[in-house]
Amino acid sequence: MNREGQGDDIIIASNLVKTFPGPVRALDDFSVTVRRGEVLVIVGPSGSGKSTFLRCLNGLEEVDSGTIIIDGLPLDDNEKHRLEIRREVGMVFQSFNLFPHLNVLENVSLAQRLVRGKSRARAREFSMELLARVGLADKAASFPAELSGGQQQRVAIARALAMMPRVMLFDEATSALDPEMIGEVLDVMRQLAEDGMTMVVVTHEMGFALEVSDRVLFMEQGRVIEEGAPEQFFNTPARARTRAFLRQIL
Amino acid sequence: MIRTRRTSLSLDLALLALLACLVGFIAYRITVHLDYAWHWGEIPQYILRHDDRTGRWVPNYLLRGLFTTLRLSLWGGLLALALGLAMALARTGRSLYWRLIARTYVLLLRNLPPLVIIFLFYFFLADQLIPHLALDVRARKAGPGVRWLLSLLVAEPGSISAFLSAVCTLALFEGAYITEILRAGIESVERGQWEAAHALGLRRHQVLRHVVLPQAFRQVLPTLAGQFISLVKDSSIVSVISIQELTYQGSQLMASTYLTIEVWVTVALMYMLLTFPCSLLVARLEARLARRHGGDGHDWGCLCRGEEVL
Repeated sequence: MNREGQGDDIIIASNLVKTFPGPVRALDDFSVTVRRGEVLVIVGPSGSGKSTFLRCLNGLEEVDSGTIIIDGLPLDDNEKHRLEIRREVGMVFQSFNLFPHLNVLENVSLAQRLVRGKSRARAREFSMELLARVGLADKAASFPAELSGGQQQRVAIARALAMMPRVMLFDEATSALDPEMIGEVLDVMRQLAEDGMTMVVVTHEMGFALEVSDRVLFMEQGRVIEEGAPEQFFNTPARARTRAFLRQIL
Repeated sequence: MIRTRRTSLSLDLALLALLACLVGFIAYRITVHLDYAWHWGEIPQYILRHDDRTGRWVPNYLLRGLFTTLRLSLWGGLLALALGLAMALARTGRSLYWRLIARTYVLLLRNLPPLVIIFLFYFFLADQLIPHLALDVRARKAGPGVRWLLSLLVAEPGSISAFLSAVCTLALFEGAYITEILRAGIESVERGQWEAAHALGLRRHQVLRHVVLPQAFRQVLPTLAGQFISLVKDSSIVSVISIQELTYQGSQLMASTYLTIEVWVTVALMYMLLTFPCSLLVARLEARLARRHGGDGHDWGCLCRGEEVL
């Protein structure tokens, strides 16, 4: 698989514009590039367009203008491109969105069988491996409703990893969790980052951003206000707006 | 809390007493004043008849009618489900063309009296479409095994065309209700489910087949089962087009024997025989679903935590 533009930059998003009826400018000429293996944390006040950006990256939302290239493949009107990109990009949602009618093992195995065409046995084998990785091998037969929020989110991560994605998107993955469960999910994410996964993480967990990320990006009203290495971003922010934001949440 | 219970208890007792008075009064009118000769003894022979020629017991008018009603309901229900599913998918789909077609179908069928639909479609189907298939002729020419199977599962070889028309008409108008039930089910599935499935790379038909429809069906199963009970009852409408189902047989029997009350009480009991088990099943289904989903179907997040699931 040798595609044009498939260098070190795995995500190239250029000049994205997305408006919602209102009209709200969720993305306003937004550009960002993510390197292979990089962990990019996006922070910003609610309604700043962070989630919209993530959802545009795998085609859950369509941009009004601008281009997105993921691993050399343009995300455009071509349905085949869209499907291929979705296979390569895993996503973890704030509200878990596990399939409630399937047990944990089936949740993790479904896409492997339908999209990757794996046999039931092979999908099961890989699913169990992933569940062991997120520490939930003993819950394979449970239904989502029987699990705690933290456990559900770990299953959701395993489900996304089952597609062997090259990029993982985390859309406020810990925001809906009780405080005592945030740690277990962040641990899984940290491990994933150490294993070299390319990650784009929208989060309010500044400790995680400082410790795990390679770069922090602060956005507001659909624009990049400031970005930089985590130590520099948190210790010596350049912009007054960033300082005000950090004062508010830290 | 306790006080309201007490008041409602005395109210209940008063109501029950009133009801008992009413029942007593009706019983009194029937036994003393109703000028009616009861002949309950004649009813059983219309259910089962002893065939002197073969020396066996065979089903007579009423039981044959019950079987026809059962066959009508099963085939009508299956066809209505297929039609309803197709139309519900069209109604919730992306294509404006199909959405409009499905909407028109539902609008048309739900705003006409069933009887009118039956007449319109039956005469069209029975006169224009189905005769061209020459099913009756083919059925008569078929081997004895096939004929036996046909009369067991569908209808006597001579009346297959009429039966088929009735099934289609029934399915057509029940299908409109099932369309709306399934549409509600599909729309009750959260957006996040679509998004999670799409994000995994599933195609639209895979999302429907593996994620959305299983949840939608589970959500509306009790309603759907209730609609099937309605279908069993509504199947009596096709008696107007001389399908020999239970109601038709009842009216024929009444005309020839004048056992008005006995016949209709028996027919009512026979309908109950079909619908009552269905109702019990629906109640059990509802209880089971409520337990599984913590009552609401959407609160699967933490409500059921640690609870035993069937």
